[in-house]
Amino acid sequence: MATVAAPVEKVRPPWVSNLGGQLFSVLLAFVVALFIGALIIIGYGENPLTVYGTLVRFAFKDVDSFGYVLQIATPLIFSALAIAVCFKGGLFNIGVEGQYLVGMLTASWAALTFDFLPGPLLMWTALLFAMLGGMIWAAIPAVLKVKTGAHEVVTTIMLNGIAVNLLGWALNGPLKYRQEGGQVAARTANFKDNALVPDLGHLFGMRESVHLSWLLPLGFVAAAIVWFVIRRMRLGYEARAVGSTPGSARAGGISVGAVQIKLFMLSGALAGLIGMQQLLADKGYLPVNFVSQLGFTGIAVAFLGQNNPVGIVAASVVWGVLSRGESALQLETDVPREFVIILQGILILSVMVIYQITRRRLARRQLQAAAVVEQVPEAA
Amino acid sequence: MSDVEAGRSGAPPLVVMEHITKRFPGVVANDDVSLELREREVHALVGENGAGKSTLMRVLYGMYSPDGGRILVRGQEVKSSSPRVAISLGIGMVHQHFVLVDPFTVTENVILGDENERVLDMDAAHERVGELAQKYGFVVNPRAVVEDLSVGEEQRVEILKVLYRGVDVLIMDEPTAVLTPAEAKELFANLRQLREAGKSIVFISHKLDEVLEIADRITVLRRGKVVGETTPARTSKAQLAEMMVGRPVLFRLEKPDVEIGETVLQLDELHGEGKLNGLSLEVHSGEILGVAGVEGNGQRELAEAVIGLRRPSGGRVVLNGTDITGEHVQAIRNLGVGYIPEDRHEQGLVLNMTLWENAVLGQHDDEPYSSRWGVLSLRTIKELASRLVQLFDVRARSIDVTAGTLSGGNQQKLILARELETDPKLLVASQPTRGLDVGAIEFVWRQILEQKAAGRAVLLISAELDEIYALSDRIVTVYEGRITGEYPPDAPPEEVGRGMLGDVAAEVT
Repeated sequence: MATVAAPVEKVRPPWVSNLGGQLFSVLLAFVVALFIGALIIIGYGENPLTVYGTLVRFAFKDVDSFGYVLQIATPLIFSALAIAVCFKGGLFNIGVEGQYLVGMLTASWAALTFDFLPGPLLMWTALLFAMLGGMIWAAIPAVLKVKTGAHEVVTTIMLNGIAVNLLGWALNGPLKYRQEGGQVAARTANFKDNALVPDLGHLFGMRESVHLSWLLPLGFVAAAIVWFVIRRMRLGYEARAVGSTPGSARAGGISVGAVQIKLFMLSGALAGLIGMQQLLADKGYLPVNFVSQLGFTGIAVAFLGQNNPVGIVAASVVWGVLSRGESALQLETDVPREFVIILQGILILSVMVIYQITRRRLARRQLQAAAVVEQVPEAA
Repeated sequence: MSDVEAGRSGAPPLVVMEHITKRFPGVVANDDVSLELREREVHALVGENGAGKSTLMRVLYGMYSPDGGRILVRGQEVKSSSPRVAISLGIGMVHQHFVLVDPFTVTENVILGDENERVLDMDAAHERVGELAQKYGFVVNPRAVVEDLSVGEEQRVEILKVLYRGVDVLIMDEPTAVLTPAEAKELFANLRQLREAGKSIVFISHKLDEVLEIADRITVLRRGKVVGETTPARTSKAQLAEMMVGRPVLFRLEKPDVEIGETVLQLDELHGEGKLNGLSLEVHSGEILGVAGVEGNGQRELAEAVIGLRRPSGGRVVLNGTDITGEHVQAIRNLGVGYIPEDRHEQGLVLNMTLWENAVLGQHDDEPYSSRWGVLSLRTIKELASRLVQLFDVRARSIDVTAGTLSGGNQQKLILARELETDPKLLVASQPTRGLDVGAIEFVWRQILEQKAAGRAVLLISAELDEIYALSDRIVTVYEGRITGEYPPDAPPEEVGRGMLGDVAAEVT
């Protein structure tokens, strides 16, 4: 047999070889989004530079401001990672929302029930139960999908609704806070101090009202773990195969259902941690007016970060900058605060469009390069 | 060109492509190519994958603008290039992959993009499309919904779409690649009728038998250049193949002389989903069993039942004496079964993953490729991939490119390399050369024969009788999920053909 070796040239995988191109396209997307945003600002009779200046100043003017930004970004990292993990396997886990709500419920229960645990053990127990709660809530759509074929988008939307009401019930029932003297409030009792995630902000001289906690580094660790699982582990390999060509994956001996369940479990565990910023860092109890919707915001952040762990961390910070600037706009300019939401939407759209364009260009270039090699004459 | 009929050579050529050069970064896809298309002719354009056939036709259809050369249509030079201009000049293209709206009717698809009125008069449109179909002898119901049509019928709709726009030149890119032999016959009848009606057809193909059957003239491309122009009367399959590949190609390979041994695979009365109706067969070591049949008679289900992708509702699959019915794919693979799927994009490769990621698929959870903790060993996987790529001469820039960038032949080589790497005792090869060009077909055939030489069992499922005859030690025919006959490798094709159509033949031993 002719064993003429094709000219083996060092080619890095597509996601690395085009790193420069990717950075460029992200920057381009930003410029486009800011430009379109500027047109809207001008429509309001404001100067775009002033408005953007206000946004940036509010995020970076001092260490406290940036602390607030990171505080907003922390839960979004977990949320977007939870979305991305499922997305890699071709699953759309809209239920991250419900999974994190249930995670807050189970974590609260654990923090109040196991309050005899000493030192940081209580905190770790609460975090563990948060992940367990998310996993339980993710297991339902996962099993339904694998066993009956029920589509995860439908089942998770339903479960989100159930989760909201489950929390409402718990706050009015088993977890209801009964103060001495018969006064009741729709919230849980305060957790003990050793249930809380230690503060990180004071190390950087941030004010006490900034609740930057060790959850942020935990988010970085989670991102690194997700990267490792997707790129270096069998589960991630199988997930990517299942996500893009289920038939080939199955013919290669991969159990599609088992992979899907594992991904949902990982996603649910990450989702469970979303609520910990407000539960164990911001508040120290579960209030009835808990912050929801973070699971849905995670979808947007995951898109903005192109489902890439590093991209997600960056996108979460960007999201934090914009969200932080929301109230500043209202205070200092005539542009309504909703402008930020519009800008976020434009940003996602332009990232997606420009990313698609560069990806197609890359694919075309690869095909052409491949064609050259195939035309190498055969060995005589 | 003196041997062309006098009546036809009198008219000026309909389309002249002169010295067309089309470059892509790093590739010259068409290098000074000239082509003449006359009225009322079927002009075949043959060449291996990547020879530049499709590029040339996309230049003609206005999808690419050439870097050099010019195009004359009826003596007029074409200045701008776009499909819209091409259609207005009477040039239309039927793509290899259909672009039809499934829930629409035939008529709705045909008139799509060419509706003249704001409120559609569907009855009139149905009538127009019906007349058009009748005029060229196309059997198709204008009111049928596309998703209910067979592949052959869908193709007719695609052709009607182009004809509806009043073209005189039809470019057909590998039209038979998706058709069964019977559908291909019908297509040829349609094409002849179109030619009689005054249309000219460019027929892109690498199936030489078809080209010799249908073409009036043949232009052969190799690596972007025209290597010759000929007519079916003046050439032969072997000569065409040699022109395409640049070296002699063997259509009959020497079958290695191997003693046929014990039963490796035994199928007992397999039933399933109405597609398998009591199918039984045996394959022995050192034997290639060819399963011939018109597609859709249970071949796919048969292959999937053996590899474990489909659980039969009745019957048994026995491998080397072990009942493996309903076992998981991974378990069956571990017992020594390799699988070449009929659709390499759906069941073979993950196109957006790299060559090395594809090379390890199926073995990815075994040592040394992944550890007990589920961490992949990239180094050993890449070593495996480099070795396979080299051994099977997979032409790729590197093992880090995605599988989707390879040509069909190279993709199939990669699958073969992967499936044979584990030394399977049984190889299930389903339509192993579908869509491949002659050079690659020869390669695949050699590899399959080598399996036999090594004393392994091969279950070869193919709709191509040529392939069945070239490789098999024993032939069985399948019809509606049952085996309808068994034949020695030298049985006359007519007899096998009867089995393929359901006539239960006398059992030949």
